[in-house]
Amino acid sequence: MKELTISSNAPGQRLFVLGNEAIARGAIEAGVQVVAAYPGTPSSEILGTLAGVARELDMYVEWSTNEKTAFEVALGASICGVRAMAAMKHVGVNVAHDPLMTASHIGARGGLVLVSADDPWAWSSQNEQDSRYIALQGYIPVLEPSSVQEAKDMMADAFRLSEEFGQLFMLRSVTRISHGRGDIVLGDISRERRKGSFEKDPDRLAYVPRVARINKPLMLQRFERIKKAVDTLSYNQLHMADRARLGIIACGLSYSYTLEAVKWLGVEDRVSILKIGTPHPLPEELIIRLLKSVEEVLVVEELDPFVELHVKAIVGEHNIAVEVHGKDVVPRIGELSTRKVTEAMATLIKCRPPVDFAALDRLEQEAVSLLPSRPPALCPGCSHRASFRAITTAAQRVAREYGDDVEPIYPGDIGCYTLALNPPQHAVDTCICMGGGFGLANGMAHVVEAPIIAHLGDSTFFHSGIPPLINAVYNKANITMVVLDNSATAMTGFQPHPGTGCTATGDEAVALKAEDVARACGVKFVEVVDPFDLKAATETIEKAIRFPGPAVVVSRGPCATIELREKRQAGEKVAPYYIDQDKCHPGCDACIKLLGCPAILKQADRTVIDAPLCTGCGLCAQVCPYKAITQE
Amino acid sequence: MVEEFNILLAGVGGQGVILMSELLGKAAIADGLQVRGSEILGMAVRGGSVTSIIRIGDDVHGPLIPQGKCDVLIGLEPSEALRDVSYLSKSGLVILNTTPIVPFTVSLGQGVYPALEQILEKLNDVASKVITLDATQTARDAGSMLAVNIVMLGALFGVELLPIRIATVKETIEARFPAKTAAANVKAFDLGYQACQQAVK
Ligand SMILES: Cc1ncc(C[n+]2csc(CCOP(=O)(O)OP(=O)(O)O)c2C)c(N)n1
Ligand code: SF4
Ligand code: SF4
Repeated sequence: MKELTISSNAPGQRLFVLGNEAIARGAIEAGVQVVAAYPGTPSSEILGTLAGVARELDMYVEWSTNEKTAFEVALGASICGVRAMAAMKHVGVNVAHDPLMTASHIGARGGLVLVSADDPWAWSSQNEQDSRYIALQGYIPVLEPSSVQEAKDMMADAFRLSEEFGQLFMLRSVTRISHGRGDIVLGDISRERRKGSFEKDPDRLAYVPRVARINKPLMLQRFERIKKAVDTLSYNQLHMADRARLGIIACGLSYSYTLEAVKWLGVEDRVSILKIGTPHPLPEELIIRLLKSVEEVLVVEELDPFVELHVKAIVGEHNIAVEVHGKDVVPRIGELSTRKVTEAMATLIKCRPPVDFAALDRLEQEAVSLLPSRPPALCPGCSHRASFRAITTAAQRVAREYGDDVEPIYPGDIGCYTLALNPPQHAVDTCICMGGGFGLANGMAHVVEAPIIAHLGDSTFFHSGIPPLINAVYNKANITMVVLDNSATAMTGFQPHPGTGCTATGDEAVALKAEDVARACGVKFVEVVDPFDLKAATETIEKAIRFPGPAVVVSRGPCATIELREKRQAGEKVAPYYIDQDKCHPGCDACIKLLGCPAILKQADRTVIDAPLCTGCGLCAQVCPYKAITQE
Repeated sequence: MVEEFNILLAGVGGQGVILMSELLGKAAIADGLQVRGSEILGMAVRGGSVTSIIRIGDDVHGPLIPQGKCDVLIGLEPSEALRDVSYLSKSGLVILNTTPIVPFTVSLGQGVYPALEQILEKLNDVASKVITLDATQTARDAGSMLAVNIVMLGALFGVELLPIRIATVKETIEARFPAKTAAANVKAFDLGYQACQQAVK
């Protein structure tokens, strides 16, 4: 029997998948033809999965330079009548915000779906914002799945809905859906492939003020139609219990926690539950029915009180005698869980939780207090570690000349290199958003007297680093901009980008070079260094810092993880370094203190290299003052 | 029918925790069970702590194990198992690989790695039983340093609590690895299974 895969046309069969694979499968079943995305945890595997089957299923799939472009790619295809989607993490939606707000005026010709993967608790993000508010602002209807299966079903359905109502739809996922796992029942795959066609229609597509005024009422009409339709969509379901005093309105994934909490407390026959799959627009009739049947209602949703505020508005408008709870008992910060919903319900029902959660918390704290922390770290052999050694050495030298108490400033960015926030590098002073480091440096340059060395990765450079670089040239900001070029979008799973010479589907592409871009933008000091030649790299970076005016250094070294993988595949051996204990000075610890390579360990009073972890990069040999570290 | 069976896998980035949960989930589905779970990727993979959750049964809806409801806690690394001890149920079981991986923060002088006895004592306070094995050494014996996760999978089946057939999980392992390494992995599974059975006796 042929093994089932994500592209098997095997309706009714079950497959165990990651949530993002389920989302990809939904799009496949709907016959999506154009998919664009920029990577970002927890959304990246959606496009990664589709890229792997693009050829087989005759789809166009691309990693775009950033989320704005990704959304525009999808929008362009939809305008030409084919089904298209864009996928991104929640903060990516901010980058795409501008076209989004006008796109919703256009009305979708080919089904158009935006996937936003939100990250409650900011597991791998700079914040935990709630993207439903962006949808609210743009009159974009939102589907929010309660399970991996529903994520697939909603994704497939979203294209149909988008075409039926002529409107852009958003699927809001969260980390525990996207990186959740579950079994899904496969549906039929649509083999329809449309030929795109462009119909000139400036009154719908060319947004001069007059056109905005024509289309806003049309958008509002579409939204009203959707509002009427959501009450009967199967994603919203009201389960009434006869004796219920308490009603629960549970949005998206919170519904699964609610079902478990109700069972755990044993109150199945005492609460009515309204499952919400469309937080925007809400199924008002169902909500009103629930509100009128109970004395108290609890709104359960992750992050902000989005549904709660609307429910309170409905209560006011219809003058219903019911008390509404939500963020007064359910946390606004972080992920929800069965426990948190259980606790909230126990408070309202005035019963005892099934277990002593406070005792479990104490147990956890006690356990954790015994343990050393295990934060993520730059991998052994990571070229960023070498780059930061060069950057900080050069910057310290120059800073000393500014004055005794002057410290260099390192506006940083988002990528693996953000880990240099930690000791021993301490070389990330700010991290706000992608491209933000170069931008902040521009502002700092005009108000402080200190060397300013901003840095970002190559993928980030192409994503949003170029406009602030041009700004530095145009407005004469005296800053040094280092591009940490490891030829990958490593942090999010090693995706290719415009500098890598390869596309999402593995085709060859032009490999743009950051140094060429910088020169073309008018930067007068542009150098490329090999960070593993520590001395030369340090000298060049020092020159760049001393250069009056904006300077760019491209520090080019491979991502060690990718390099190791390639070596393993090619059957090449890695030659690790080792520390000659006769030459090593106990207590020196320069290698540990300057580099923090996870392969260098303290064992009793000896410093040793853990051979299986060492990639043989040789950086430690260059910083050892006693030449005690050599390759075998 | 299985109502709810919760497995928590704790380890360190690079130990193959995620692969282990994938194999478990696939095998469970092949045996007609319903599976839910989740994991944290992203930042955690660069040598940080990794936990993955597999939940089997018809009463399972959410992707997370509620604190106090974990049936089996599998520690691929001792300190990582202790980190999640509060998830164990009163009848919960721990299966522990005794080989520690000391985090680099200890070399930097931030924190101390506790003695194995201390970790075991704490786990024993909470768990109904703690089964220990040196899975790292066992993996080496099986001919694959990387197979610690498969040894632990074998040990998990060794406790004979799972609603999944052993034949199914072995087929899943064989299908997942290329022919060259499949045999070593099945061997790792068998050795883990035996080590656990011995430890239980
Ligand atoms: C607007 C936005 N999109 C996506 C992300 C997710 N993300 C985090 S780091 C990163 C890029 C990392 O690539 P690069 O800059 O090349 O650094 P590397 O990790 O390779 O060192 C991305 C896409 C984000 N934080 N913000
Ligand atoms: S994945 Fe690559 S870029 Fe990221 S820390 Fe590891 S070696 Fe460095
Ligand atoms: S050579 Fe030194 S710095 Fe490089 S990976 Fe090995 S131990 Fe770490």
